[in-house]
Amino acid sequence: MSEEEKAGFFQAVKEFVYGVAAHDSARFALKTRASMEHLFILITMGDMLGVPILPPYYSLRLLPYVVPQISTWKRRMLREKDLTDALA
Amino acid sequence: MNSVFVLIIGFIVAFVGYRVYAKYIDTKVMTSDPKKATPATMYMDGVEFMPTSKNILFGYQFKSIAGAGPIIGPIIAIQWGWLPALIWILLGTFFIGWVQDYSSAMVAMRKDGASFGGLSHKLISPRARIILLAFIYFYLLLIAGAFGNVVVSTAIGLKASPMAWLFMTIGGILAGQMIYRWRKDIILTTVVTVVIAMLGIWLGTIAPSDKIIGTDLANSRPFWAIMAFVFCYFAAVLPIWRFALPINYVASYIVFLGLLFGIIGIFVLHPDFTLPAFTSFSIRIGPIWPIMFVTIACGAISGWHSIVSSSGTARQLENELDARPVGGGVMFVEMMLAIFALIIAGTIFASPTDYGAAVAKGPGGVFAAGVSKFLGALGMPADLGKAYGSVMMIILAITIMQLVIRFMRIATSELLSDVSQVFRNPHIGTIIASALGLVLVLTGWWQYLWVLFGGANQLMASLALMLVTAYLMSEGKPSAWTFYPMIFMFVTTVAALLFTSYSLLQKVFTGAVTGEALVGNTLMGAVGFFLVIAALILGVEGLKAFNRYRNLRMQAKPTAA
Repeated sequence: MSEEEKAGFFQAVKEFVYGVAAHDSARFALKTRASMEHLFILITMGDMLGVPILPPYYSLRLLPYVVPQISTWKRRMLREKDLTDALA
Repeated sequence: MNSVFVLIIGFIVAFVGYRVYAKYIDTKVMTSDPKKATPATMYMDGVEFMPTSKNILFGYQFKSIAGAGPIIGPIIAIQWGWLPALIWILLGTFFIGWVQDYSSAMVAMRKDGASFGGLSHKLISPRARIILLAFIYFYLLLIAGAFGNVVVSTAIGLKASPMAWLFMTIGGILAGQMIYRWRKDIILTTVVTVVIAMLGIWLGTIAPSDKIIGTDLANSRPFWAIMAFVFCYFAAVLPIWRFALPINYVASYIVFLGLLFGIIGIFVLHPDFTLPAFTSFSIRIGPIWPIMFVTIACGAISGWHSIVSSSGTARQLENELDARPVGGGVMFVEMMLAIFALIIAGTIFASPTDYGAAVAKGPGGVFAAGVSKFLGALGMPADLGKAYGSVMMIILAITIMQLVIRFMRIATSELLSDVSQVFRNPHIGTIIASALGLVLVLTGWWQYLWVLFGGANQLMASLALMLVTAYLMSEGKPSAWTFYPMIFMFVTTVAALLFTSYSLLQKVFTGAVTGEALVGNTLMGAVGFFLVIAALILGVEGLKAFNRYRNLRMQAKPTAA
């Protein structure tokens, strides 16, 4: 087995162990953070989805900071979800 | 027959299934295209949709699907003889199991990462979606009941296991605290917490539960059932990083090491099967068809896998070609796990009488005795090996159970919050789910409960195959490879659920059962009938959808000049 193959094999084993032990935890941590972020954007930019909460003056002032998140946020907010989403 | 020979047959079936059949379906029927953008790459949000390496997903899928199911099923099903059980594990996985896991992931991937509810709405009908979600709630309830029973019988049968369970919980909570609060190094956290969990296993052998809390309490089913559901209550209401996930994290090392060394132990000992290859067509829990086919659920085919494949894995696959190793490949590994459990049950007892006495106390004792024997071949003392096996069984059951109660809490809120605002309260949802599960555990006979769980699980699988078939028909692709497995699973599971529910309710109506058994039989029978009715409605909706797609294809054909 060449050095490159050996490194590839150990990398695969490392990734497998990570997948078994920690990937789920990482996903849930990310989901929790995303929920917080989405709630914040909903409060500040809600009128983009037709839910005006904050006066537009403040929304406009925050807009430049939120721009990178908007497309993902809209997609996640508007995507159809059901119980099976919580299962995996 | 020698157990190593059985393992080799398993490897050959897995090799042929994966390299020939799965490859053919993947390349010629589904026509996987590495250049096609997957939902993970198209809709990447860094959370649910995220391109992930196939090695990580292989581990994730394995961890998500390998619970107590593939182990307990073969331990019970060997009552019909090890040969029919082995044949069903091999053929079930080859023709149905991997097909369902792989195709669920592929269809969800091709439909922009839609979940089952959305897929059934789009591909079958709006009504199908509502019934499917109600079906899932009762399916989860049966998982909680069946796995709760395993926890209770193991805690009573193996007195070392409660201490090990306690230390694993302490280790898990500490892991959550060290990782997320104290920001400690992950390797240090892992070593410390896994050592704590291992220490609990050793302590369990010198301080068994009857010496600490007294014989009465240590043998009390209500006590251990309440303990199990209190554990699940915390898992359901606490933030997931604080309790459920870190405990799963520590537990995964215990299980993984046990399985790895257990399989090495089989090769070292290479025992012969001591139980008969075939006993009878009909045993106490029912006839070989359909009951054995649902008793071995996860080791041959399981609906749970399709939920993981569609809602979890399909949104993370970075390449369509990865669906075969992740969706299909992991199912073949699970098949080997079921064969491992079959070898344990078939080789460690001197006679069927010894096996009968052991299994009457619950499958945990059988599994722990097997793990003890095979770890003993590598030098582990027998009592320590038995404690290790018992905590593995508890881990495999309770880690799924705690997640199920958490999901039932969410489902209660989703389904009933329109009726009353009180159902939005997480404590109310958890208490409802726990109370229903507790009633099942305390009043139901575990073997019937297992059969009902297996039936619901595989009915879920046939519904997943129905969705896949509808997708294939809508795309004009060959669908026989999912249609016939779907029909087989649908007929088998409906027959199994009807048989079991009828057996249960017949005892109620003839007055053959009283007290706790009366409650258990009535509840289990009613849930079984509800699942059958839901499945039949879904079946009719599915047939209508198939006809619709067939008619569309007929209309689309150009008329001859």
